[in-house]
Amino acid sequence: MGLILREKAEYLATFRWLEVFLMETLARWVPTTPEMEVKVLMGRHIWDAAQHADALGKRTFELRAPLHYTLAPLPPHLNTMNELASVEDTAGRFQAVYDVILPGLAARYQQYLQNSDSLLDEPSFRVIEGILNDYARMRKESDEVRAELVETLVFDPGRAERWSRQENEISEFVLHGGGSTLAREATV
Amino acid sequence: MSASAKRKTVQGITLCADPARERCFRVAQLDSEMQKFENAMSEDARRERLHRHMNNETGALEIAAQCLADFPESPWELRMQLARQAFDESRHVHALHQRLRQLGGYKGEFPIGNFEWAVTNMCDTLAARLAIQNRTFEAGQMDLLGTLRQIWRSVGDERTAEVLEHILADEINHVRFANQWIRKLVQADRRLLLKVACAVRFLADANSAISEPTANSGETSAQQHKKIGINVEDRRHADFNDDEINEILRQAGMSSLTGAGAQA
Repeated sequence: MGLILREKAEYLATFRWLEVFLMETLARWVPTTPEMEVKVLMGRHIWDAAQHADALGKRTFELRAPLHYTLAPLPPHLNTMNELASVEDTAGRFQAVYDVILPGLAARYQQYLQNSDSLLDEPSFRVIEGILNDYARMRKESDEVRAELVETLVFDPGRAERWSRQENEISEFVLHGGGSTLAREATV
Repeated sequence: MSASAKRKTVQGITLCADPARERCFRVAQLDSEMQKFENAMSEDARRERLHRHMNNETGALEIAAQCLADFPESPWELRMQLARQAFDESRHVHALHQRLRQLGGYKGEFPIGNFEWAVTNMCDTLAARLAIQNRTFEAGQMDLLGTLRQIWRSVGDERTAEVLEHILADEINHVRFANQWIRKLVQADRRLLLKVACAVRFLADANSAISEPTANSGETSAQQHKKIGINVEDRRHADFNDDEINEILRQAGMSSLTGAGAQA
């Protein structure tokens, strides 16, 4: 299945929403998470998520959508994200981001690449490949902190697996044709 | 409830309640509860400096992050700057923690204070928070770091001096973007000027309440800061204009260094 131009913009706008959501979730958690090493990790990754959102938002404009076009995901995915963002304990927050949200998003980015054209949509490929590289680094950094705090934090693998299953079961997450009018489309 | 909406009372002043800290930390509410040393660069005092600075940088990280959480409608370019600041402050905490451990210290070795968080988050506008945290606290830290790196070098600790030099370079960027954005935000909405002025007044009141003269010198920490001096060169890099720098020098009792002071 190939994506048409408008659908590509809608995918990227939804990815942008998810990156902003990740940035804001990490930002809310920094002051309310006691462990200093985890605050530092989250603080680093706030900037990663912001840069991803920025690059995606600039790319949507190139696809004849508004600059920093942003679309919330469909309700099932939105509800899952909100549920993960409401986790209170440090170990759970850690797992929500690094074991569930990042791998889940990585799979959705890969799916986009499979459905788009690597030549005609190469600028999007560059942006997404950069994001996937960042995710690999972010997860490696999280593994280092996890190892450092192994005696302090108790991780429940069953909980992360349950969340991942819930996330994986949602296939459609992009709202097509229902977002705000594409600004430049209206002027053509 | 947002972390910035919780409250505490210290010496009759209502402040934002402390951010989350590990149990190993003892959180001080007053300057007098912080540990002080007769020899300001003894081995213990050096570790205390790093420990205190590490917690201050943690606070700066938390304040930048809280601004992102509390003001989702602010301009995207400004949010990018705050996100970048969170990254920078994270690296500062990491570097200072690393240095502290290299000198034999550890988390929770000394009391910590969260004054900057407690005051800044009482402001309900982003312009006022930038004015307090970036333009006042971080600019003040620029002044201190201008001198401190030389002090660490003078006791032969080149590595700590290097860490502080890099922190200073980052802080200049944080103060600069705050100065530039406060001007833009105030131009767009003149009512913000009053908010900023009230925030600065509130900071002065809170400072007097918690800063008690130290047992050794009889001076408050604010008075001690004035003795350190104003880092004029870096304040220029941070986009303070000449009038603003002259006013800061005047307030620090150094007006003879300015053109206006020389004429008086």
